[in-house]
Amino acid sequence: MQEDSLAIVDTLTEAYSDQWAGAPGAEEAGVFVQFMSSNDLIYVVLGVSLIIWLVLLFFLFRVDKKVAKLEEQINSNQEE
Amino acid sequence: MKVWKYVIAVWMTIVIAAGFLIYIPEIPILEQTARNIFFHVPMWMTMFVLFLISLWYSIKYLNDANLQDDVKASSAATVGVVFGICGLLTGSLWARFTWGSWWTFAEPKMNLAALALMIYVAYFVLRSAFDDRAKRAKLSAVYNIFAVTTVPFLLYIVPRQLTSLHPGADGNPAFSEITADELRFILYPAFIGFIAMGYWIYEIYTRYNILKLKAENS
Repeated sequence: MQEDSLAIVDTLTEAYSDQWAGAPGAEEAGVFVQFMSSNDLIYVVLGVSLIIWLVLLFFLFRVDKKVAKLEEQINSNQEE
Repeated sequence: MKVWKYVIAVWMTIVIAAGFLIYIPEIPILEQTARNIFFHVPMWMTMFVLFLISLWYSIKYLNDANLQDDVKASSAATVGVVFGICGLLTGSLWARFTWGSWWTFAEPKMNLAALALMIYVAYFVLRSAFDDRAKRAKLSAVYNIFAVTTVPFLLYIVPRQLTSLHPGADGNPAFSEITADELRFILYPAFIGFIAMGYWIYEIYTRYNILKLKAENS
């Protein structure tokens, strides 16, 4: 069922299908794809969780830097 | 720190752990990635709630011209975009291992979600174009009202009318009878948890931006 609906919507399938992991030859796919595909795809869930964590962490670091800058600004204003 | 923040911290810890631990039925192709629903879908819900907060303060700014409301609106939009980026990246990874491609231009929901984020990128570009604070606040508030109204169309209404690999196409609600019921026990708490997390991050960012506004005015 999934493959039929894929054929209807995905015009890229024909052009790239032989390069896809789902296509025959997945065994020769890169180490990354093989690792992610192992153990019933559970590492994809890990990857998704890590993406959210890293993006939020990145934002946290940015806000931290901004706060530090503001602190500096306020402190130097008070000294004047 | 207020009590609700501790509650969220504990709540989210349980949701994340339970998301990995609960038993889910065997689903072909998706297999264990069905668990991604607990993380990927709440990103979009959180984004939308933050955009609604942003809309609220934009309208409020147009009524009372209080610059603090403008700060709140832009902070909510920023955090909303952060969650939107999480949603896009997680969706892209999920697509790679279930649909077979990082990105496909034949998939309406994927592309329209990216478009919705672009509309918000334009909001920040518009903001940076003005040096005068009152003018910037007023114009970006008007633009923001336009921007938020496009989101339900781009993410829900239009994709549902089209053929798509993404659940929720062809007129179906995304969570229909074909989806396993067990997933709801974690999905709904995850919605609450992530939305509350988003609100928490928004609150911190707003407090910073209001302090900055005060420092610049003094």
